[in-house]
Amino acid sequence: MAELLIQQSVNWITLGSIYALLAIGFSLIFGILNVIHFSHGDVAMTAPFIALAAAQILAASFGAFAPAWLVLAVIAAVLAVGMIGVVLDRVVIRRFRDAPAMMALVATVALGIVIRELIRHLYPQGSNPHAFPRLVSGVAFDIAGVPVNWFVLLVVGTTALLVALLFVFLRMTPLGLRIRAASEDRLVARMMGIRDHRVFQATFFIASSIGAIAGLLFASYAGVTRFDFGVMAGLLGFSAAVIGGLGSMPGAIIGGLVIAGIEVLAQTFVEDGASYRLVFVFVLVIVVLVFRPAGLLGRTTMEKV
Amino acid sequence: MGGSTSSPAPRTATAAALAILSQLCGAALLYAILKAEGTWHVAGLLALLGLGFYLLERFPWIGDFVTASLARVPLVTMATAAVIVLGFPFLVGTNTYVLHLLIVAQLYAVLALALNFQLGSANIPNFATGASYGIGAYVSALLALNLGMSFWLTLPIAALAATLFGFIIGIPSMRTRDTYLALVTIAFGVVVQQLLNNLDWTGGPNGLVGIPAPSLFGHSFASPLQVFGWTLPSQANFYYLAAALVVVAIVTAQRLHGSRIGLAWNALRADEIAAKAQGINVAWYKVLAFAVDAFLAAFAGTIYAFYVSYISPDNFTFLVSVTIMTMVIVGGMDNIFGVIVGAFLLTILPEKLRAFSDYRLLFFGVVVIGFLMIRPQGLFPQRLRHYGGHR
Repeated sequence: MAELLIQQSVNWITLGSIYALLAIGFSLIFGILNVIHFSHGDVAMTAPFIALAAAQILAASFGAFAPAWLVLAVIAAVLAVGMIGVVLDRVVIRRFRDAPAMMALVATVALGIVIRELIRHLYPQGSNPHAFPRLVSGVAFDIAGVPVNWFVLLVVGTTALLVALLFVFLRMTPLGLRIRAASEDRLVARMMGIRDHRVFQATFFIASSIGAIAGLLFASYAGVTRFDFGVMAGLLGFSAAVIGGLGSMPGAIIGGLVIAGIEVLAQTFVEDGASYRLVFVFVLVIVVLVFRPAGLLGRTTMEKV
Repeated sequence: MGGSTSSPAPRTATAAALAILSQLCGAALLYAILKAEGTWHVAGLLALLGLGFYLLERFPWIGDFVTASLARVPLVTMATAAVIVLGFPFLVGTNTYVLHLLIVAQLYAVLALALNFQLGSANIPNFATGASYGIGAYVSALLALNLGMSFWLTLPIAALAATLFGFIIGIPSMRTRDTYLALVTIAFGVVVQQLLNNLDWTGGPNGLVGIPAPSLFGHSFASPLQVFGWTLPSQANFYYLAAALVVVAIVTAQRLHGSRIGLAWNALRADEIAAKAQGINVAWYKVLAFAVDAFLAAFAGTIYAFYVSYISPDNFTFLVSVTIMTMVIVGGMDNIFGVIVGAFLLTILPEKLRAFSDYRLLFFGVVVIGFLMIRPQGLFPQRLRHYGGHR
């Protein structure tokens, strides 16, 4: 029993970290544009495909498949996805920032369809699942007889590092200050001489690259990637961001952990829980929002006076 | 736009002629689109359609004049519409594929009208219309398969079950708003779909098979329809059934729009706090919008289940709800005619793009995004309300 508990806690932390990274992207973009970027999950899940393609190109041009190529490919994918985010913002999403919330939601859902279909058509045999390697292998150490993989440490370490970096970036750099200013009040920020276009670009680059890292970790965790993984990644990440409270970074992390927690609990303690895990997750989402209408860390506001 | 009071009032004779002519033109266009095959043919018709919408946009008085004419001679308008709707299957003849498209389009029109009560009238997001649709389909199918109930008996029971579901989704809407409410409805949709997919008694991912065709006065809907010596394919039965449902939906929508309920929904859309200050029971009207939506969606679901006789959870996914939402937005929120046009366009056009069958979904996404950017108010924007005597 104790072993099971430890094993499931390890799973929980791993999955929770990945969801938290996805949720941070949703929260960052919402905070600055007031737009739900529903295709964020799909953008994130392009990363494994880009990494696979890049690794194959590198292996084909420089010889045997080496770990070094994988590392390079992963970095390339993260940067490329960041750029994809910037381009999508420029071409589509930014136009909906003053539109009714529903327009933006529907438009980005449609954008998600476009991204998925593009992967399916552009990637060779894109309709099929593609194996994705574990980024690191081997067992790091034991906790009471339960082996903990290096991969788990990689996921948790990356998440902690990214969260810390993001915190430092938002608090202590000029660009971070501008992002916070623009998310507080875009108009006043513009009057203070902040070019909001730059701020949007930076936000989308950061959010999408963090999403890309989450996508890569998720594909590596699952061992495969598929063109339509983005739907679930998006729904779960969005749910995590919302139940944590949109726009709140600590909220996004807590939301990710809560969603992963209920998923792991359902799989462990409920008979046939694996098939019903989404039911449990979304019932929890409903319950949380009924009792905390603006999420766990969000503030309820009555607009207009 | 909307200020139709300034346009000249048409005389009765002109109005009657115009009412008949405009509806016949619409029917002819629909027929041409349904019959169109080959890329160039479809592209030509699309260009024609685009030109039509451009003209309506450029010269708003055309639209106002036609609308005024239609309203001037309501009897002529309704008679023409009835003749067109009743006569269409005779025109289509034995082409069952076209009839199938029309049935699906009509069911989607009902779903879009149902959602319009919320999204259009009250601006409440709802991504669970697909779930209500599914509940209607599954409840009626299960009753028919397990208890041998007839279609006509399952119809009200399914509607009641879905309405109850609508009330349940409506409850969180008293507390949450906007994006948060959108997530709640998405969550309800996913939960229903996942339950249908996993429970044993709903048939799991395989769904339910062999739902018996309904019959009326001894005439089975699975057999061809014979009228005045004409023989119409069995799909015609369901075509008329769906058409009747569309009429019910339109009448419901119009009556609600004209009632205090519709007015209260519009007040909610304009400003929730002001509505509250005016003494409108905001929570009740929000919940009511969900219930009405679920009620109508369940009717559509029941007819769908008995029509295709096979349902599976894949018919009622999140994407179905998004499609219904897109129909409302593309057609024009809170505009009954626009919503129906949106439903027909978005059902029939993807089918006409068989030429690029593999790229259909991609095309759909691009069109929706482009449309939302270029014409966010929809093809037929909502009209100003008329009060008092002048019409």
